[in-house]
Amino acid sequence: MKVMDVNGRPADILLVEDNNDDVVLTREAFKGSKLKVNLHHVKNGEECMAFLRKEREYSDAPTPDLILLDLNMPVMDGREVLAELVKDDALKHLPVVILTTSDSEQDVLNMYKLRCSAYTTKPVNFDKFEHIIQGIADFWFTVVVRPPNDH
Amino acid sequence: MQRLTRLARLMATAFSLQYAVEETQRHSEELTEAKSVVEQSNIELQQFAYIASHDLQTPLRGVAGFAQILQRDYQGQLDEEAVEHIGRIVAGCERMQALISDLLTYSRVESRSRPFEAVDLNEVFDDVVAILGSSIKDSGGEVTRGELPTVMGDRAQYSQLLQNLIGNGLTYHDDEPPRVYVSAENGDGEWTVAVRDNGIGIGTKHHERIFEIFRRLHTQDEYPGTGIGLAICRRIVQRHGGRIWLESKKGKGSTFYFTIPERGGEQQES
Repeated sequence: MKVMDVNGRPADILLVEDNNDDVVLTREAFKGSKLKVNLHHVKNGEECMAFLRKEREYSDAPTPDLILLDLNMPVMDGREVLAELVKDDALKHLPVVILTTSDSEQDVLNMYKLRCSAYTTKPVNFDKFEHIIQGIADFWFTVVVRPPNDH
Repeated sequence: MQRLTRLARLMATAFSLQYAVEETQRHSEELTEAKSVVEQSNIELQQFAYIASHDLQTPLRGVAGFAQILQRDYQGQLDEEAVEHIGRIVAGCERMQALISDLLTYSRVESRSRPFEAVDLNEVFDDVVAILGSSIKDSGGEVTRGELPTVMGDRAQYSQLLQNLIGNGLTYHDDEPPRVYVSAENGDGEWTVAVRDNGIGIGTKHHERIFEIFRRLHTQDEYPGTGIGLAICRRIVQRHGGRIWLESKKGKGSTFYFTIPERGGEQQES
């Protein structure tokens, strides 16, 4: 049963992910959580920036409560997204959780240097993946005080 | 005349000396070049192993994930045979995952190594016993140690080394519950650490090859494993300037030995 929400509305979560299997698996994993979620999906960093800046077809897009960002993507990857976000005064307050296959120490360190909110890796085992997604939902929507988001 | 002869000899000697010097220089340049080629190909090999392992995980997550969802959410709607097939897909994915993860560890022995520090092997042993806790319990086995030394090295890699060797001792046994004993001896400027088990043992003809990657003596059904563990051990020991070998007879248990130079801490160039 979905008992958690954000002031009566579902949580808006933006998933930036190029792999369609991972998109479906992430949706499936959220199904098991108590949080009501509107999961928005874009397929690379460029689309992510357009979504956040409400450009093009994204003029009506909500400002997400949380961004789940993959690292290795074509066109514009997650590293470039984070680097651009921290330079943008209108966007740099948004919580960004890295969700990637890479557990390279270089990536972990660099993403924290760019002040990502958290760094998580996607395990192969679906039960573990579900556990991580639900952990993110629980932590970010029951434990943490998020920046104000009126929309 | 005599002077001229001497002069000619001297000149000949000088020429041959110069030639030798040039030759040596050429050799050393060739060596330096060869060394940098080897270093480069090592780096490329590590990068390849890393990327291959990393990029293999993404499609595998798809296969494993959807099979697990089928297994969990459609259990009642599928017949017994379908459920069994899905179970095999899931098991195959788990095995693939283990292979990838071990390959990653293998490729990282050099690339993700730490500077050497003083490491108390007694502490490492205690950590490893805690990590292996559930396999020790499941096997009904016992893992004990004598007094172990403090040596120079990479703590995480010593832990990996003991984990693999003790883990093997816990895995490869028959009806008898496994007993693994770790001890150390000092001599000839080096420590020799022994990991002794009461397991199924290994025939002499396999003693060399068993350290090669993917070399296994059993099927998955007999004893699970990826065939990478001992190759990782050998790489770690070599990086620490030591040697690794075993003494064993089929059916009589095995003892794996590795050495650590006492004045260790000299990191081996990879």
